[in-house]
Amino acid sequence: MSLMPFASSRPLSIGVELELQLLNCNDYDLISSAPDMLRRIATQAHHGEIKPEMTRSMIEINTSVQHEYGALVEELRSLRNTVADAGRFLNIAVAGGGTHPFQHWSEQKIFDAPRFHYLSELYGYLAKQFTIFGQHVHIGCPGPDEALHLLHMLSRYVPHFIALSATSPFVQGHDTGFASARLNSVFSFPLSGRAPFVLNWEDFERFFGKMTDTGVVESMKDFYWDIRPKPEFGTIEVRVCDTPLTVEIAAAIACYIQAMARYIMVERPGEPQEDDYLVYTFNRFQACRFGLEGVFIDPRTHEQRSLREDIADMLLRIADHAVELRAEEAMERIREILAKGNGASWLRQTYAHEHNLSDMMQQQAKLWMNG
Amino acid sequence: MTLSAYLPIWPLSVSPALWLALALVIAVLVGEGLVRYLRLPRIVGYVGIGMLLGPAGLNMIPVLPAAEWRLLIDLALGILLFELGSKVNLRWLKANPWIAGTSLLEAAATFFAVFGLLLWFDVAHVTAAVVAAIAIATSPAIVVRTVTESRARGQVTERLLLMTALNCIYAIICHKLAVAFMHDEAGTSLIHTVLQPLYLISGSALLGGLFGSAFNFIHRHMGQHEETFSFLLFGMIAIATIVASTLKLSPMLVLLAAGLITRYQREHPRTFLPHFGSAGAILVVLMFTANGLAANLDGLRDSMLLVLLLILVRAIAKLLPVLVLARYSGISLHQAIALGIALVPMSSLTLLLTLDTAVVFPAFASGLGLVLMSCIVILELAGPILVQMALRGAGETLEAPWRRKV
Repeated sequence: MSLMPFASSRPLSIGVELELQLLNCNDYDLISSAPDMLRRIATQAHHGEIKPEMTRSMIEINTSVQHEYGALVEELRSLRNTVADAGRFLNIAVAGGGTHPFQHWSEQKIFDAPRFHYLSELYGYLAKQFTIFGQHVHIGCPGPDEALHLLHMLSRYVPHFIALSATSPFVQGHDTGFASARLNSVFSFPLSGRAPFVLNWEDFERFFGKMTDTGVVESMKDFYWDIRPKPEFGTIEVRVCDTPLTVEIAAAIACYIQAMARYIMVERPGEPQEDDYLVYTFNRFQACRFGLEGVFIDPRTHEQRSLREDIADMLLRIADHAVELRAEEAMERIREILAKGNGASWLRQTYAHEHNLSDMMQQQAKLWMNG
Repeated sequence: MTLSAYLPIWPLSVSPALWLALALVIAVLVGEGLVRYLRLPRIVGYVGIGMLLGPAGLNMIPVLPAAEWRLLIDLALGILLFELGSKVNLRWLKANPWIAGTSLLEAAATFFAVFGLLLWFDVAHVTAAVVAAIAIATSPAIVVRTVTESRARGQVTERLLLMTALNCIYAIICHKLAVAFMHDEAGTSLIHTVLQPLYLISGSALLGGLFGSAFNFIHRHMGQHEETFSFLLFGMIAIATIVASTLKLSPMLVLLAAGLITRYQREHPRTFLPHFGSAGAILVVLMFTANGLAANLDGLRDSMLLVLLLILVRAIAKLLPVLVLARYSGISLHQAIALGIALVPMSSLTLLLTLDTAVVFPAFASGLGLVLMSCIVILELAGPILVQMALRGAGETLEAPWRRKV
């Protein structure tokens, strides 16, 4: 199968996908109720799209194509309400967060669809281990080469997105010490990591052709890259974020990426270089492990600072672009995260207060469902 | 000194308790065998061995003394009813009134279908009403035990637990009312038909609420120590049973209400060990074996057609309303079939209601009581298998081996 031509999309349009956890209301463990939720939701009129995911304890909400924070957050709220109402009707709680703190992967059931069964056969327990919950942000690009340019320029800031959205400190009943432990599950997939350093679309098509010839991949979906082009939408898709604890934070992070993309497209601060990736995995690890306290090494200047400082600095640089995009409120929320901490620290504080992961999950679901 | 002073005399005289103990060991072994080789629920083994070795079968074990048997069932059923209540979230009924509707319709359909069938068999109105009231209840013992054993979770499981709790409440109240009518067919005035259920419900709720507060207290302070906790709990269940009987309330209703109220008041999610610990689990095994020993199939010999029709009519009356309202209440037809089937079992609760009626009305004991006893035997053996099949079919058990590709 050859690669689809890169569709045109309005530059800087945004779309958000959020994977959500379905929980039972007795002990707030995951429950395999996606088919029930989807059946209920199918009877209700709603915005955007609500879809199944790999295992039956997950559900995904997708916004339509949006352009600015206000409308984006409204659509996300309406999607959240649809899902939360269906949950109340079926006695199922819905929550954000990148991992479920005490679920057992072997108890998860694969959603009944050919692609999910195929993936489950191929990846074995990795597929069930993939019961993790992420936020994907699409950014519209004027053309394929611009998309690849933006992709490689944004790679420098991947640790920002990880640290701001991190909500997965707990895995299998324990505090992992990571802010985002979810990404450790993604890294175990053979085709995860960063996209190859290719800056024009013909080269990218050639790369894709060679990969399909090896028989390793069939479509773009088989790449689990941190950022990947999505030719059929005409977008690039940032895939490193954990699902935040509220839709408001999800929208704010999406608009932070959008404002940064505008800064890159309009100001063109330098061209991407292969050497930008020298510190890529180090920086990404620091963000996963330590969140906003992680060390960030600038690939060009080799200067070291905390991610919190680097984000604060970035906020100043993109302030004008945020104003142009009417995303001031979003930037305010990002500043709030810098000051008060990300979702991972909220979860740790809640756990310290409740002493019990079930109780923490209950609070997490309450926060998500009631906004 | 003679030999007989320290050697046993032939033939050996053995305490009947030995046979009971032996039956228990065999029942547990057979139960394990059923799970391992036939993937059937353990309870089938417990009940089956009790039946096989007891008076209804090979007659190797004498009937248990009524008082002891009753204490055992009161305790074990009390645990299971309290457990059922504490698993059920009544707030769900507010968010999804269709479930309340399904429950009421299912109970009403069962009552009237069974009532109609009995009238057709020329049974007196009041007697028919008593049997129809008893027929409303799904076995809480079988449902809780099978759900626990198969580690089932999902819409069918949760609705099964909720609807079982509700139809047990209806059955107990309707039964009390019907019995009151039976006592005084002509004289019971309207005021009593209102006051009695009112007293039953409010009295049980009050006692249940007290029990619930005490339970939360001991769980908070002694919950970590399983043995202390379960002994305190069993003591409390015994006390609640005696107090409820003294106040002419239903002990079963009180314990079910206690479970529901604790769950309703609880702000945080809590899970308990199955049957609140291993002591509870032992009582449950004993209860099912004892139920098997008490099995009575005389009714099947005398009125087989009625027994079979009663089972069939009751099953259809439970299944149909669930099917009809499935779409509105948010489950698929497939799930509705599973739920409808899982509502069929009958066991201890029905047995106690039947026996309580028989004590007061000897004519009932030798007539329709026997018919009900036969239904119970059949649905106690088939019930766990039906529930397990239904939950497996709905894909809610954790084993789900038919999906596993080898």
